[in-house]
Amino acid sequence: MIAKLPKHCETVIVGAGIQGLLLAFNLAERGKTDILVLDAGYWQGGASGRNGTLVRGGFSSPEWIGLFHHSVEQWKVLSSRLRRNVMYTRRGYSIIAESDKTREMLDVAHQNQKAAGVKTEMLSERRLKKVLPAIAHRRITGAIHLQDGGTAPHHAVMKAALDVVRERGIQVHYQTAVTGIETTDGRVSAVLVGDQRVEADLTVIAAGGQSTDLAQMAGVEIEAVPFRIEAAATEPLRPLIYPALALVDRMTYLHQTARGEVVGGSELPGESAKRNLKSTAYVLPRYSKHLLEMFPQLRNVRILRQWSGYLHPAPDGGPLLGPHPDIRDLWFTSGWTYGIAGGPGAADLMAKAIVTGEIDSRMAAFSVDRFRRGKPCMEASAVIDNASAAA
Amino acid sequence: MTFSGHRLPHISREPVTILWNGRPVRGLKGDTLAATLYGQGVRVFARSRKFHEPRGLSGTFVAGHLATVDGIPHCRLDRVMTEPGQRVEMENVWPSVRFDLLNMARLLPRRMTRAGFEHPRFIPDSSFAWMPWEKLLWNIAGEANPPEFDDRPEIPGRQIECDTLVIGGGPEGLAAAKAASGTVVVVTRSPELGGMAFGKAASVALPEGVTVLTDHEVYGLFNNGRIAMAAANDPQQPGVMIEAKRVVLATGVRSVPPLVSGAALPGVLDARTALRLAAMDGVAPGNKVLVMGTYKGRAVADTLSKLGCNVLDFIDVSDVERINGRGSVSSVRVAGRNLPCDAVVHAGPWRSDPTLAFQAGADGDLRLMPGALPTHVSLQGACSEPGEAISFGRALDRDALVCPCMDVTVDEVLDLIDRGITHVEELKRRTTCGMGTCQGVPCWDYLAAVVADATGRGVEDIGHPTYRPPRAALTIGQAAGLADITEIEV
Repeated sequence: MIAKLPKHCETVIVGAGIQGLLLAFNLAERGKTDILVLDAGYWQGGASGRNGTLVRGGFSSPEWIGLFHHSVEQWKVLSSRLRRNVMYTRRGYSIIAESDKTREMLDVAHQNQKAAGVKTEMLSERRLKKVLPAIAHRRITGAIHLQDGGTAPHHAVMKAALDVVRERGIQVHYQTAVTGIETTDGRVSAVLVGDQRVEADLTVIAAGGQSTDLAQMAGVEIEAVPFRIEAAATEPLRPLIYPALALVDRMTYLHQTARGEVVGGSELPGESAKRNLKSTAYVLPRYSKHLLEMFPQLRNVRILRQWSGYLHPAPDGGPLLGPHPDIRDLWFTSGWTYGIAGGPGAADLMAKAIVTGEIDSRMAAFSVDRFRRGKPCMEASAVIDNASAAA
Repeated sequence: MTFSGHRLPHISREPVTILWNGRPVRGLKGDTLAATLYGQGVRVFARSRKFHEPRGLSGTFVAGHLATVDGIPHCRLDRVMTEPGQRVEMENVWPSVRFDLLNMARLLPRRMTRAGFEHPRFIPDSSFAWMPWEKLLWNIAGEANPPEFDDRPEIPGRQIECDTLVIGGGPEGLAAAKAASGTVVVVTRSPELGGMAFGKAASVALPEGVTVLTDHEVYGLFNNGRIAMAAANDPQQPGVMIEAKRVVLATGVRSVPPLVSGAALPGVLDARTALRLAAMDGVAPGNKVLVMGTYKGRAVADTLSKLGCNVLDFIDVSDVERINGRGSVSSVRVAGRNLPCDAVVHAGPWRSDPTLAFQAGADGDLRLMPGALPTHVSLQGACSEPGEAISFGRALDRDALVCPCMDVTVDEVLDLIDRGITHVEELKRRTTCGMGTCQGVPCWDYLAAVVADATGRGVEDIGHPTYRPPRAALTIGQAAGLADITEIEV
């Protein structure tokens, strides 16, 4: 049941998640609408429907702050740009330290964030009690609060972006898997979908965990791998936890949704990359333990759901943005671990680069060839396991 | 018609008094809270998420019997035993049960509350107006106040290794347990073995060495079925991690109510719940009971009669057009005629719960798809047979609820199908169908039936969204207790 596709498109975007759809939207805003967006799965079936929906602009390294702070600024105006509510809520985002070492890291992060103009606050004990009354305060050695951070439920932005992109006349096809990528004279010339061939001036891979396979179809490698993680939601409760949270020492993130569910997950040190969407028996108990220790009120609250999805970590956990060094006319917005947070910002910078040819420095820091150049963007406050990122 | 509650004379136990929304209610020690309340004529246990419609004990839709017990939200009233002085409170009311402003939700046009309060037309577009609205929404959608700070640690989990794990304590499960060699564990959600015979079957005697976990329900199957997580119904009891060489699923079948309006009204019970109330708790499902079902359902009507219930009639479920009632069921519309009653028991179509078989066999990268069962997992008895077709009267009723937990109507699904959206995973995400405590059982069977009917495709081609864990929920305290006894696959 694959639709008849055009023979030629200026831009083919592979992946109709938040990266692909917002890139299509930003290109359309800059006057480019000859775009085809293809996705092998169903709407919200990939990481854009399986993530923790957390948004923050403040990290510890200047490179991460540069990209993600820009993205938060984009999040702030996304509802008005799309003329639909993406439900971005600036409830704040707290980064929690439970050890002296992490506290020291947060001090550095705080300085870097201030220097970049991020609205950031090192929470005093009194402020912590106000911002997070329910948390187990005795465990905490330090906390940064990012006032402009918060959450953005993925279904809202996915619905808004899909509707707007289609309104602009851009074709988006789900359940339409790219089966081959054609290269001619050192450039990507077309994508193949079964027996259909779509010639493209530019092909952009925005396919989450599938991006590694798609790169290989074009005969190139990228330094990121699909990596399964799991999340869970509790049954609904009235407000208990207001801001979004990163528990750095526990590699755990969580927030309470507008539906009342406490949603979050933990990464486990040393776990290896797996390639299926099955849930396991060992992540949920460990996440539950972290949750219980930090929010003992939840002891008798039941789990409503657990699921898994893919990160696509590069060795430094940061995204891969821009052209591939080994082949022309193939760009990436892949390698995402904080894809919801970074999506609007990356899409804006990518579109600008594609249309004007100028690559913004905030995007250039995350270039696809940065590892080769010996310039990774390491980040200490991200809730990702560097061992898994290097997998 | 009001229902005063009716206790059958064959059960007598020590009386106790509990508080229901601050009002004393008398019950018997050893009853579940659901039986205590039902026996005293309380039908409405809960209010639905969006439409704020009355819900009660049903045996089908878990959301109907969730309430706050002694400050702990979302307790399953059909699992919690009655204890003197318990404070049981209805959820999803504000500020109080007697003066409940959330009742105004019933006045809203249903189209406005589609997909929860999260996608409708009237949410503010600007992010500044959105934040106070979100807070209001959160207070409504959250349904219940969070529990108090409780500094007790997790409940250390229980670890069991066995040769054969049998899931299901009915006659089929017991037969499998008897036939199995080596160490055997039987898990049943009931307080006793024997299935719908409720402990009376003489065949209950099991060989020595068989470990029986009553009052436990399986949370999910993992690692291709080699690991089962189970939850004690009592949240203060441990979660259990069972590693088995062989797993037998003998989960039987259960009756699925027809997809007609009123099917989620209080007073509509599935056969198992009605029989359990009458046989074990001595509580009549109603004073005037209609039984509807497929041909096997007649036996249920006979049994209820023998237990002393006033059964008016047995109706073929495919003739049922709708179920009427405001706070509770008052009549059933059959072939253009309203048949008065104060309880409806459905006994068919009978279908199995596909969750565990799905979890044992499913695999996939873009989407978990059902797969063949691994060789060490088998189905025994009725759950291995194809289920009876969902019944929805002569034509689809647009007001019927596909998902009573999240208040998703047939109308909402049909409108999406008209827009070309027919993928069940996408329909689930756009409507939230099946994302409540029932875990899509039977809502996703309804969903598939609606898509099949609207598109003219065969129901077997439509498929289901992923049957994720939990099937029955662990608490955070129970799950945390399993952390030290599960190994990370590296």
